[in-house]
Amino acid sequence: MKFERYALAGALALSLAAPLAAQTLEDLAADADTPENVLTYGMGYGQTRYSPLDEVDRSNVDGLAPVWAYSLADTRGQESFPIIHDGVMYVTTHAATMALDALTGRQLWKSMLDYPAETPRVACCGIVNRGVAILEGRLFRTTLDAHVIALDAETGEEVWRTRSIDFKDGYSMTVAPLVADGVVIVGISGGEYGIRGYIEGYDPETGQRLWRTYTVPAPGEPGSETWQDEAGDAWKTGGGPAWLTGTYDPELNTTYWGTGNAASWNAGVRPGDNLFTSSVLALDPKSGEIKWHFQFSPNDPFDYDATNEMVLTEIEGRKAIVHANRNGFLYVLDRENGELIAANQFVEEVNWAEGVDLETGRPIHTQVYHDAVAGEPVTHWPSALGGKNWAPMSLSDQTGLAYINTFNFGMNYKAVEPQYRAGVFFFGAEFSWEWPDGHRGALRAVEPTTGEVKWEQRSDIPRNAGVLSTAGGLVFTGAQTGEFEAFDAETGDKLWEFQTGSGIVGQPITWEHDGRQYVTVVNGGGAVYVLFGGDERLASVPPGGNVWTFALPGE
Amino acid sequence: MMRRTVLRVLIGGLAPLAPALLAPPAGASELEAVLAKGVSTYRTFCSHCHGVDMVSAGTGSYDLRRFPLDQRARFESSVMDGRGDMPAWGDILKPDELESLWVYVATRGGKEPYPDAPEAAPPADDAETDDSAAAPPAPSDLDPVAEGRLTVCLARNGGALSGWRHEGGSGFDYRVAAATAEAMGLDLAVQWFESEPEEESDPVKETYALLAKGLCDLVPAVALYEGALGPPPAENAAPPRWDDMPTRDWVEFVPLEPVAATRPYMRAEIGIVTGPKVGRAIEGPKDLAGLDLGVQQGTLSGIIALTEAPQATVDASVTFNPGPDFLWKLEGGAFDAALVDVAAFDFHRRQNPVSLLTLHDWRHPLGFNIAMAGLERNPNLIAAADAALADLAASGVLEELAEAEDIHYAAPREPWMQRRLTRRDLRRAP
Repeated sequence: MKFERYALAGALALSLAAPLAAQTLEDLAADADTPENVLTYGMGYGQTRYSPLDEVDRSNVDGLAPVWAYSLADTRGQESFPIIHDGVMYVTTHAATMALDALTGRQLWKSMLDYPAETPRVACCGIVNRGVAILEGRLFRTTLDAHVIALDAETGEEVWRTRSIDFKDGYSMTVAPLVADGVVIVGISGGEYGIRGYIEGYDPETGQRLWRTYTVPAPGEPGSETWQDEAGDAWKTGGGPAWLTGTYDPELNTTYWGTGNAASWNAGVRPGDNLFTSSVLALDPKSGEIKWHFQFSPNDPFDYDATNEMVLTEIEGRKAIVHANRNGFLYVLDRENGELIAANQFVEEVNWAEGVDLETGRPIHTQVYHDAVAGEPVTHWPSALGGKNWAPMSLSDQTGLAYINTFNFGMNYKAVEPQYRAGVFFFGAEFSWEWPDGHRGALRAVEPTTGEVKWEQRSDIPRNAGVLSTAGGLVFTGAQTGEFEAFDAETGDKLWEFQTGSGIVGQPITWEHDGRQYVTVVNGGGAVYVLFGGDERLASVPPGGNVWTFALPGE
Repeated sequence: MMRRTVLRVLIGGLAPLAPALLAPPAGASELEAVLAKGVSTYRTFCSHCHGVDMVSAGTGSYDLRRFPLDQRARFESSVMDGRGDMPAWGDILKPDELESLWVYVATRGGKEPYPDAPEAAPPADDAETDDSAAAPPAPSDLDPVAEGRLTVCLARNGGALSGWRHEGGSGFDYRVAAATAEAMGLDLAVQWFESEPEEESDPVKETYALLAKGLCDLVPAVALYEGALGPPPAENAAPPRWDDMPTRDWVEFVPLEPVAATRPYMRAEIGIVTGPKVGRAIEGPKDLAGLDLGVQQGTLSGIIALTEAPQATVDASVTFNPGPDFLWKLEGGAFDAALVDVAAFDFHRRQNPVSLLTLHDWRHPLGFNIAMAGLERNPNLIAAADAALADLAASGVLEELAEAEDIHYAAPREPWMQRRLTRRDLRRAP
């Protein structure tokens, strides 16, 4: 298996013509190979979160020490992906965007946001923001009250601001935008609020909306035949949010964007497959046109979003997507046509489906699924939070393994008649948690095409942070109890940890400057597990976000 | 003019502006119903931040299991207006949902008893056993508006006297009506309506209109005074907005009919209330010397204050618009003392459980007996209700109900019917 790169030799000449300070589209495409900068969400358009840096390795990681910390002055859960360009780090909270000197942690500017006091109620799972995108001296971010804004990267001044939609109807935005083919692409949140999901493209220059592609078709549009409710209006509140950043293949000029669960959860009242919910959409970034789609969980009753990252790689010579779905299966798809290559269980327990039919791509449902749709009480595994939640996995170039923070708990569930009311939860189900004795999660090293688990590191309180792997043979991630951790990528042995003072649900990155390797992570406990899960063992872990940057001690 | 001032004392002063119903739910079964609503409301509005089943680590958001149970007003303002990281819900949360959330939180998610849960209501059984000699008309002779039921019209926002609940109701008037219905052998049904403290609203005409429209058999909280009963005060009148009222662009006037009343079941009186800074007992209006007096414009209590307080105090007094805000201003220190309807004070205490206001023992001798009104042409029903109320009074049930609702209760006093007021009536303070 070989993991590909986007070293576009031809494009390099073009970038020289651009102004010196600019981050061109070509720079973005080359991000994974330019570790001095981190220009794209996921450390490269393919979001492998793998770095070729190897100064920090198995032998010396125990010497890793903090270089600086910066307070985000915010007690919400922190999920921001730091972007680094030219020695400046850009991070976000729900309430502010900040530029820091990447070497010292000193703040260069901070641009505050304000939104109506009602706004946080439309965020189901944490008042979070996942970071900025950068292009030609501008930063792009989304706001909780569903605006897309552009800031001057030099000053933090707002350049443009476009309202996507009225947040009061349950719409919000937490996504880090994707800049692809000169278009700023974002997706909407609100799958639990009876929204009609969409993905949008904006002009980076003017903020003008170029396109909006709904994830739920209106009657008559392609896919509408999969909404077969008698009243014919389920599509209006059909869900299908798109709240995590898509990946992008510049060669195919295609972005791969996952969509969320159908709404309400009560699948019995919306018979049919409910396209394009719980799917991946292959989109033309310029037009938003759907080139192909693949649906993971048709007529889903369990909140099995497919928003998780569509990691791009090459498998057996085929351009592939590797995707760890909430539904408990790890999928490998051909990204030229959406063909299913493999689908294997990657968590300990799945009871709603026996597996995935490789011919049809459809799950092989068990009675648990049928009972749930029929309104019978069931206990299903994984829970609504999934076998893996939003926290992005890493796919290592060095080992070929996917490193995934998995969840190990189920849910007691019963579908009930949904009551739609604009701007409030539209569950259509009653539920409670089904906790196992012992570990509720594990960091797992999984072989993508077979689902074989090479090693795992269990934890009583599940990890819900992003994962980073490096050529130094290391895997970095964080615990909700505050430890920033490094593991041996081959064996899973824990090699190092550092207590950051608050839970970690952020996304570690690594980068270099003047030949020195740095590792950065944003801490700040909170978000979906802390808020929804009610794990009282976390009462002793205070909230409060910081940006932490580590390196080996200097000479 | 005088009539309007009387009305304001009796009804305008009781009508709340606040949307929330702040009284605790009345009985155990009603509590369960409200709690059930609280469970679903919590799931829909709160669970994603405060934890499924209200189990939370308390780091990402407030652990509601720690919420102080004596701070309901704080709870409600935090929910409605937001506080810190807590978003505001006031524009979409309905009053009954807010109340159900309080019950859910106050019972720690339904796991503990509701604080201050009133004892199971004792009245009906006692009333019936003491009732054997009274021989009221049989239920079949009563001809109520709904068969087998006693339908009463109650203000859904009447605070300590009446409050709408998701199931049933609350307040003293509601409980008296329930006990009366039971003694009459009928099921209680309530037609709720909105009592507006507007200048234009005339509670006497509204009572006539509610009955003439056939919305209910009896209207409680009617003051017995000359002109409030008997022949209609006008040919036609519009009922106040009632629950399930059809939406129309025009106001519906109905032809009025003569109205009669039962015997009174309580007495509305005027007392003196002082703010937190006044540390001494006030024996009467003369003791108000040296205090900043607040006066509710155009109310009987206001006129009495201006008549009875020392001249220097009157000269320095400040006038306010009547309504529930008046006592909040006293709470906030805008003035030191006021004369108010005792029921308005009880209403205020429901709104502010940690009120620092003091109601003193003094009462103005002028008061109004409060009864239930019905149509004169249904004497059997009025007679049956009258007999039931007589038993409730004789057996002490009325006092028990008042105690359970924590209101300052005064028994009716002879003469039952207050004649038209004169200036002299206002000056009869001891």
